[in-house]
Amino acid sequence: MAKSNRKLLKFCITFCFSAFIIISPSWLSLNGITPCWPVIFLLPFSLTNPPFISVSASILLGIFLDSFTISDVSYIPSLFLLSLVWSNYGLHNKKIELFLNIGLMAIFGTAFVGLSIWIQKIIIYDFLRNNWFHSWSVYVFMSEVIITGLVAPFFCSWLLLTYKKN
Amino acid sequence: MIKARRKIGFHLLLKSRFWIIFLCGVLLFGVRWTKGAGYLDLYSILIKPILPGTAQREWIKEGENIDREIRLKLLEDDNNRLRRALSLQEFKSDERISAAVISRSSRNWWQQLEINKGALDGVLKGQTVVGPGGLIGLVDNTTPLTARVRLLTDPGHQVGAWIDRTKRHGILTGMGTNRPKLIFLNKNSFAKIGDAVTTSPASTLLPPNLTIGIVKFVDEKALPSPYAIVQLTASPEAIDWVQVLKNNG
Repeated sequence: MAKSNRKLLKFCITFCFSAFIIISPSWLSLNGITPCWPVIFLLPFSLTNPPFISVSASILLGIFLDSFTISDVSYIPSLFLLSLVWSNYGLHNKKIELFLNIGLMAIFGTAFVGLSIWIQKIIIYDFLRNNWFHSWSVYVFMSEVIITGLVAPFFCSWLLLTYKKN
Repeated sequence: MIKARRKIGFHLLLKSRFWIIFLCGVLLFGVRWTKGAGYLDLYSILIKPILPGTAQREWIKEGENIDREIRLKLLEDDNNRLRRALSLQEFKSDERISAAVISRSSRNWWQQLEINKGALDGVLKGQTVVGPGGLIGLVDNTTPLTARVRLLTDPGHQVGAWIDRTKRHGILTGMGTNRPKLIFLNKNSFAKIGDAVTTSPASTLLPPNLTIGIVKFVDEKALPSPYAIVQLTASPEAIDWVQVLKNNG
């Protein structure tokens, strides 16, 4: 059983994660915005691993994601901090498989990643400083938080259980 | 001798000459009443076989098209020769690479497309990508088999554009929505709603006269310079095939 779980986990991480990021399936999106996949995959991993491993994973994940984007804005700072917080939280709270608990953590994580990208864009691009609350930023931020909040409980709790079994 | 008066009576109706005259009268009255409609219809029916038919019309159209194509080719050659003399970008419509969109992220934090043609097909960084409706974006980077296109709508993406009617240049800046901002370089833009925005013929980076969009809003009093909101004519969300122009990059 454990062996099959490991295989499933490897398949999920190596294939599904990269596929979801590249393909960005439209059937799993809200107003054209897809869920924040790095948060969904990093959350269960960080909760079940010590801080050093989680932080290393978050940096590697950030490097991987940044290779698919077109500007100088990076995922690494936000994922780094999130992995640190989540792994510490996971060490002190053993019973965190609760459906809503994980969903809420994913929502806060997505909001943090979104805010980080938003702030980085404002710092990098001069013209965005004239008007901080652009309709586009608010739209992407809200949609991403909502869709991740809907999707995360299913994916994260399942991944978390699989990690724990392994 | 007194001649007996001729009898006037209904016996006239029995004479054929009367009826001929009567019918002619009715006919002429009818022609007058209908303003010669019957005559004209009959005339058109009669000359139909000798009128130039659809085939003849097509020949004439084909001839006109050939004439236009030749003139267009001559004008393009002339234009390219002059542009070369001024060291400006040339526009060759025959040097295009058609590519399919394999991944789309047109509404997210990063607004980009992945296309299925890369360095092996001759796609280079900085080349122009057009779709049905006009300019979409520029090639940001390439792999051997794919290329990533940065859309005009991507926040921070800036390209030079101008309004042909007013001959005023500006910088088209992506704002994340389908309506980028055209920040003018002059104090007075003289732009009006409905003006067409195209790439500048004086550009050394982009091919000239590519359609970008239509002006939807103008703020002449904006500081430090006036700006216009442009509605793009090519919608990246609905495009499945694009063309990469090989003549720049």
